[in-house]
Amino acid sequence: FRALSPGCHLYPFNVTIRTDKRGTCRGTQLVYACVGYCESSAFPSRYSVLLASNFTRNITSASRCCTISKDAKIKVRLHCPRGRHHDMEILTARACRCNMCHRSRY
Amino acid sequence: SVLNLKRFIGCAVREFSFLARKPGCSGLHITTDACWGRCETWEKPVLDPPFIESHQRVCTYNETRLETVQLPNCSADMEPSYTYPVALRCDCGVCLTSTTECITSV
Repeated sequence: FRALSPGCHLYPFNVTIRTDKRGTCRGTQLVYACVGYCESSAFPSRYSVLLASNFTRNITSASRCCTISKDAKIKVRLHCPRGRHHDMEILTARACRCNMCHRSRY
Repeated sequence: SVLNLKRFIGCAVREFSFLARKPGCSGLHITTDACWGRCETWEKPVLDPPFIESHQRVCTYNETRLETVQLPNCSADMEPSYTYPVALRCDCGVCLTSTTECITSV
């Protein structure tokens, strides 16, 4: 994943789906992720934060993360033996935005 | 050389000013080293629940030293010392709630 400019951008990649380990039915579809570089900073915590955390959290981190702001389902056609096929839906990103980080707390 | 902050990618030590204050004392303006930057974050659709995989790293302190100052004009019952972290090294990393107040803004 590389998109070396600030901001949060659509990034294309291929997804390959197989119905089982032997790949009886399979299909490939181009979908989009969101990849980017959003601003974040860390600085000394205010006294109220120090008090509330019993002086353990002396750093405050204020961040935004590159997230999918709009998604959509798209159809993937899986090709099976004997010319049969099977359709399924998967998610793709449609728009991206520097927004709240959710999973950075752990 | 002058760093172009609009184009900057990565996580670096940056000057930061704040007002150190606690109840019972006057405030003291402090200029110190903190962290600022843009770290790589992404969200991509995946086939299995929860259907979105994310990678969230924020620019935060990697190595610190503690600095203690004396706040002016404290009342007799208030201890005048105020301790805050100084960034020696900053890095993209997870926001650790054990040491950090993790806040996120839209």
